[in-house]
Amino acid sequence: MKEKIEQRVVSLFVLMLGILVFVAFAAVRTIEKFIESSDWVNHTHDVIIQVNDVVSSLHAGDAALRTYLLTGDRRDQGAYRSAYAEMIEHLEIAKALTRSGLEKNTQNKQILELQDLISNRVDFTRSVVKARDQSGIDGARQVFAAHPDVESMGKIQRLSAFIIDGENGLLRERDKESHLQAQATRTTVYTGVVVNFILLVFVVWLLRDDLDARRQAAFALEEANAHLEAKVQERTAELVKANLSLKQENLERRWSNQALDHQLRYSQLIINSITDLVFVISRALNISRINPAVGHQTQWEPQDLVAQSLDRVLQLNPEASAGTPPQNPIAVAMREGRELQNRQAVLLSKGGTTTSVEYSMVPLRDQDKVVGAVVIVRLRNESPKAG
Amino acid sequence: MKKHILSVDDEVDIRELLQEVLTMKGYRVSTAAEPEQAKKIVKEDPPDLIIMDFQIEEGDGFVLIEAFKTLAPATPILLLTGAVFDRQVVRDTIQKKVASYLDKTASLSMIVSEIQRLLGDTPDATEHH
Repeated sequence: MKEKIEQRVVSLFVLMLGILVFVAFAAVRTIEKFIESSDWVNHTHDVIIQVNDVVSSLHAGDAALRTYLLTGDRRDQGAYRSAYAEMIEHLEIAKALTRSGLEKNTQNKQILELQDLISNRVDFTRSVVKARDQSGIDGARQVFAAHPDVESMGKIQRLSAFIIDGENGLLRERDKESHLQAQATRTTVYTGVVVNFILLVFVVWLLRDDLDARRQAAFALEEANAHLEAKVQERTAELVKANLSLKQENLERRWSNQALDHQLRYSQLIINSITDLVFVISRALNISRINPAVGHQTQWEPQDLVAQSLDRVLQLNPEASAGTPPQNPIAVAMREGRELQNRQAVLLSKGGTTTSVEYSMVPLRDQDKVVGAVVIVRLRNESPKAG
Repeated sequence: MKKHILSVDDEVDIRELLQEVLTMKGYRVSTAAEPEQAKKIVKEDPPDLIIMDFQIEEGDGFVLIEAFKTLAPATPILLLTGAVFDRQVVRDTIQKKVASYLDKTASLSMIVSEIQRLLGDTPDATEHH
């Protein structure tokens, strides 16, 4: 999106620059044409002025010539010569001005025709002046009478007027062309300015739109960051909480293990400290645990007795009732869930020695079910007998 | 200022564990394994609470309770032991001598709650009961 806007703006500026260059180029071109047209207008005016001056100088020369013919005064002769010289000069300038451009084919030829007419007129004037100088005023009259020049002045004036009309026609065309050039220049410049202004407005609109989009994007980013930050904080708090919880659970577990271990060692200590012989038996009357006093008294090692029947170390007096075979009293008491106190029995040592003892039995209950029993054996005050 | 707790127990693991938990809860914890060491701490830096076991190296719990009552009569004692199993015995005898009694098999959170109760502190929100 951002790159697209930048491309558009750059393209528009390039377009605006192109238009400006085109407008400048077109303006320069039209101004050059306008100047050229103006030059031609001035040139035409110049031609008209020169042709008019030719006629004026001719009239002035003629007037001065007549005066000289009447007076014969040399000062008057200088006056007509000076007027004629000016006329020739104007004629040469007009000829030079019409050698190129649109005048080349028409006006220049007419100027040359005018030159011929004037040349004839000047030749005639010379012959008159010569006659005046040689024969006086009568001689001049004779020349006039012999060569009555009644048409040449009229031809010169008509041709001059024709040339001036032609130049005026050219002048109108050139004025029109110059006006069109100025109009074209104005149109080109105004069009360029208007188009560039429109493009500039479009660029401003694009930039404003882009700025709005950027502002919105920045705002959205800020919001997203804040949301993310909140999530991170929330997650961190959850992790801290979970970590604390785990730590507490771990401590709790360690404490529980420590407490159980302590309890077990303490219970073990109590059992081991009992001087009576303690047997823990299963429901099948097999020994599952003994205290150290058993080993001291019978020399049996725990591995000799554990998982063995209680009969191996303790001979009980079987209970008998009428009509039934004798039964193991501990098995009976366990079945019935009752205790036995101070019963007689014989303890068998590993070496075969027998000792009269008393025993008690307490059933082991786990959730009201008898799962085994504890048999406590006490020595009676009798010395052991060899087996 | 952090409240001061003295933990007296002959088992190093129990002492260390209690110290770790109570330090985490914001208490200052001193530990002792022997009666003389415990009495010295009570004299020099009187605690706000004493946690003790019956079984102590080179000493007797009951005797030590009496010594603490003499040295710091206002300091509550929490007896934390696994030595007495009969609840009735506890209620009738031991609990009269100390501010509170808990079995060592009690959960750690329960022990901490009891400590906070004895010290008049509010349980923190992270505690599990």
